[in-house]
Amino acid sequence: MFIEQISVIQAIRMAPHLQNAADRLTATISKFSLEGKIGLCGIALIVMMAIFAPLLSAYPPGKITGGSLELPGSDHPLGTDELGMDIWSQICYGARMSLFIGLAVACIAGLGGGALGILAGYLGGVADQLVMRTVDVIMALPAFPLLIVISAFMGPNIFNVIFVLVLFSWAKPARIARAQTLTIKGNAYITAAKNYGATPFYLVRRHILPEVLPILFVLIIGITSYAIMAETGLAFLGLGDPTAKSWGMMLHYATSFRSIYFTPYWQWWLIPPLVALIVLLLCLAFVGRDLERVLDPRMRQNRGA
Amino acid sequence: MNERDRQTIIFRFVVTLLVIVAINFLLPRMMPGDPFSTMASDIQGEDVIVMTEAQREYYFHYYGLDLPLHEQFVSYLANLARGDLGQSIQYKMPVVGVILLHLPWTLLIVLSATAISTVTGVVLGVISAWNRNKGSDRLMMTGLIAFAEIPSFLLGLILLLIFSVHLRLFPLAGAVTPFAQYAGVLDLVRDVAYHAFLPVLTLSLAQLTGVYLLTRNTLITVSTKDYIRTARAKGLGDRIVWTRHALRNALLPVVTRTGFVVGMLMGGAVLVESVFNYPGIGLTLRNAVVARDYPLIQGILLIVAVSILLCNLIADRIYQKLDPRVA
Repeated sequence: MFIEQISVIQAIRMAPHLQNAADRLTATISKFSLEGKIGLCGIALIVMMAIFAPLLSAYPPGKITGGSLELPGSDHPLGTDELGMDIWSQICYGARMSLFIGLAVACIAGLGGGALGILAGYLGGVADQLVMRTVDVIMALPAFPLLIVISAFMGPNIFNVIFVLVLFSWAKPARIARAQTLTIKGNAYITAAKNYGATPFYLVRRHILPEVLPILFVLIIGITSYAIMAETGLAFLGLGDPTAKSWGMMLHYATSFRSIYFTPYWQWWLIPPLVALIVLLLCLAFVGRDLERVLDPRMRQNRGA
Repeated sequence: MNERDRQTIIFRFVVTLLVIVAINFLLPRMMPGDPFSTMASDIQGEDVIVMTEAQREYYFHYYGLDLPLHEQFVSYLANLARGDLGQSIQYKMPVVGVILLHLPWTLLIVLSATAISTVTGVVLGVISAWNRNKGSDRLMMTGLIAFAEIPSFLLGLILLLIFSVHLRLFPLAGAVTPFAQYAGVLDLVRDVAYHAFLPVLTLSLAQLTGVYLLTRNTLITVSTKDYIRTARAKGLGDRIVWTRHALRNALLPVVTRTGFVVGMLMGGAVLVESVFNYPGIGLTLRNAVVARDYPLIQGILLIVAVSILLCNLIADRIYQKLDPRVA
């Protein structure tokens, strides 16, 4: 009873904050262009598909539930693959894998890289040099050929794929977060705050993070679509996790089927994951561009024209 | 650009190159399995012949894989300096030979795609900037930007499904018709072009938007500059102002970008070649990974990485030569 009361009081106290956040969110979304709104709806649909995969599909994705290469019909809305597994369930569960890999890579690389960048920018000196030289080298490395070889050596495991992708995508957020931190650090109000006895932690939390986070958020959307793209590419080459069937793995299995192009099977085996991937990537791009425009007007001005 | 900056660029180039060489050397040696477990089989992993322990040891010794790591590295560097990339285990011939066999195909599609995407991108960019903020400009912007978000190999897959599988207009695989007898050089060229068409189209489309946006945006920025107003005030016509004053300056960044485009396409070609089963070094790399052909993987990675780095370096140099403000 008592605990419940406290939580109610807390909820009431939190309400204005939540209201505030919700208002900000609706304000942000209302500034979206038509494309951005379409993108948002598309992503929402795919996320729902991933969450409610068990409800949306009649069969588990890895179970043989029909004949080999059945035509789409009432039993199997999109038919079956060569092993007799339902393709519609594979699409639903594949959304989970693709989204999970994309988001995991983006969050680790975006937040981790951002933190490193802020640290480098704030501390300066040797730490800064060390981080920035590493960033330089990573950005100069040809990512995709190296991705192929490293993931081949690490073995096909979903966490290895995530690790490799993080390795190649933290550099950009780090560089941008550092540049932002340096600009902010040069302001007179930071010096003033320091003179009033502000601790580094306070400065980062109150002055630097609020400026850097929106930019990082835009970058995270970008990295998500890069990671999904790269994972699809690796999986397509046969370097994905065979136990975690993403949309890219579906493409791999379909295109590895020897006579896929000489039979009508590609129409329901190859096209669904292809369309799903393109829709997801387009939606992410639309949302990313609108967020960039709304959250960070400075970026728009710097773009020229 | 003064002497110090030039040194920094070259220093960075050398460091990056060393990192690549080191990764190149270390990674394949840490991969699970060894080349001899699949050595006797073909690429698809069929017909595996199990070797005896003695045979395995013999081959380990023969290829120097039983030496300590640092000795392997030193001999690797020494061989590299001599241009010797080792023996391919899968093809049983020198890696340089395997690469030279497949590199021309990759260069063919990458360079054609670079030329096509640059020319088309510039033309579209000029049209777009000319009609700035009109319907055609907006339509082109939205369309091309959306297009650019589709990764090149998915685009390739779509083109393959439409033109090769459904319409049967183009071949499904290969760079030339197998066992073809050619009546003449022209016939050969036609066959090569016919096979390269879709891969080149895919790669060109992948890079088109970047060039287009760059041309359009630089042209628009340049057209607001004072010297353009001066040129107009002198009474020069639209055409001369645009071609002599605006476009010449707007093309500078495009030229620089071309170098990067070649580099990016070299990387992207790996996947696109796999989609079209086009026998360039990308497809060879994929097969080499499957067969765990260490020397071949190393060689291909080195060639791709060095060509990307060199393209970027050359792009920087060209920019300095063209733009007197930078030099």
